[in-house]
Amino acid sequence: MARRRALALAGLRFLTGAVCLWLFAVPGLVVIVSAFASDWVATVLPTSFTLRWFEHFDATDVNAMLTSFEVAGMVATLGTILGLWLAISLNPLEGRRLGGLLDAVIMVPNSVPSVVLGLAVLLAYHAPPLDISGSWAIVVLVQTALVLPFCYRMCAAALKQEIPVFREAAAGLGAPPAMVLRRVILPLLEPAIRASVALAFAFSIGDLGATLMVYPPGFATVPIVVIEDVERGFYYRASALALILLVLSLASLVLVAGRGRRAKVAAVAMER
Amino acid sequence: MSATSRTLLARAANLSAVVLLVFGPFILYPLGGLFLLSVRTKSGMSIDPYLRFFSDPTSLEVIHTTLAIVLASAAVATVVGVALAALLFYLPFRGSTMLVRLMELFVAFPSFLVAFTLIFLYGTQGSVNVFLVHTFRLSHAPIDFLYGFGGIVFAEVIYYTPFVVRPTLTALTLIDERVVEAARSLGASPALVARRVILPMALPGIVAGSILCFLFIMNEFGILLVLGSAKLITLPLSIYSAATVDLDLQAAATQAAVMLVASLSVFVVYRRVTRAGTRSHARG
Repeated sequence: MARRRALALAGLRFLTGAVCLWLFAVPGLVVIVSAFASDWVATVLPTSFTLRWFEHFDATDVNAMLTSFEVAGMVATLGTILGLWLAISLNPLEGRRLGGLLDAVIMVPNSVPSVVLGLAVLLAYHAPPLDISGSWAIVVLVQTALVLPFCYRMCAAALKQEIPVFREAAAGLGAPPAMVLRRVILPLLEPAIRASVALAFAFSIGDLGATLMVYPPGFATVPIVVIEDVERGFYYRASALALILLVLSLASLVLVAGRGRRAKVAAVAMER
Repeated sequence: MSATSRTLLARAANLSAVVLLVFGPFILYPLGGLFLLSVRTKSGMSIDPYLRFFSDPTSLEVIHTTLAIVLASAAVATVVGVALAALLFYLPFRGSTMLVRLMELFVAFPSFLVAFTLIFLYGTQGSVNVFLVHTFRLSHAPIDFLYGFGGIVFAEVIYYTPFVVRPTLTALTLIDERVVEAARSLGASPALVARRVILPMALPGIVAGSILCFLFIMNEFGILLVLGSAKLITLPLSIYSAATVDLDLQAAATQAAVMLVASLSVFVVYRRVTRAGTRSHARG
């Protein structure tokens, strides 16, 4: 009886692991395997591997990688600066009606479809008074709006948890606000700032909907080129490009956010 | 002027600057403009575009498709997510924390890529079909669900299940172990403990994850772009094609405004639920 029960539990554990791997590990593996497969048709697994798809990147692909990287860098920087500013400004309103309202409004860009945000930004900035629809600025603007909720949340959570005591102590000792900000708040927020940069970078580099709506000619990012390749049936080239995208965003999460912050990143991104 | 009133004044000035420089250009101006454009017609302001949208059979079909995909995907993702979270929490094994990490990495994985990888596995030329055809000597691919309702729901479930697992795991972690022990020592069977003790206590987390999942699936675009077809068009996809293929910006803005109202309503429900959860948690 006890043995049957132990066996059943072991079976359940195995099943859990297998289902998790099947659902959540296989997509990543498929990208890796197909990016290096010389051919994956009419066989269960590729029979031979190659670097051909990486060697054959053309000007469009290289341009997309550079655009993605530059835009994501700018979006991560701008988003984090604005998110930090929002978090510090809204912190004193904690618990008040206005604070709750502003907090909710900041989360809006992430609660509406990315194509809606993209369309709204395109319509707002493609005619005077401000027409930036032909420049990279519109891509940075829409993606910054998209990552702002996460950057803000990350800094706001850290501010709430760690700061009040230190800040009050410093202010009580007569430190002016600018000094409190530079010497107390920013150093304590460093982990949150790093996490914010990492997450904003990853989201920016992976965004499809908002960017697809606004991007001017010549500023296609990696996801857009991947989608075009998929639609034309160039699957292996799409995989190779997608792998580079994944490596970049994982690298930012691992290197910039650091070990201890990853759980925090996931909590902010998945639970709000 | 006293020091406190100076601080208050500085705070008010800073807050106005935040609203003017961040809220305005990034959120309020673009989204507000969407509503303005949607009601601006050649003959002045009018709600005709909305009347036209809601009386058009094509758009009703789009709404129907969107709802069907969202309800099916969110329901499956919730059931799978809660089951996986409970198993990972109550039957941990070597590597189970790694699996949770793996799920967390999904935030860095664009959703359209999930849909794309399914083509290699479950497409008519994909691994699974090739394997089945070879093993059972079939004449044609037995699995053909990818470019349709089934394939879309499958991709959505894969991508959004972690969004249920995370908050459920958090909720299970927060349950006071002593309450469970007390119920068990009073003779409650494991099934009774699960149903009458653990489930009610974890429910706020599960509901929050489930609503967020519902919202994100409703808003999903990439998966539909890869696996959708002319017969399966959801609202975000329809907005995209109105704006870029038909070049009808007004129709696109009208649909986007409808979508905006729908998404924000779900978002408000989510805020209500999570806020109520944190309040009662703080009290207890």
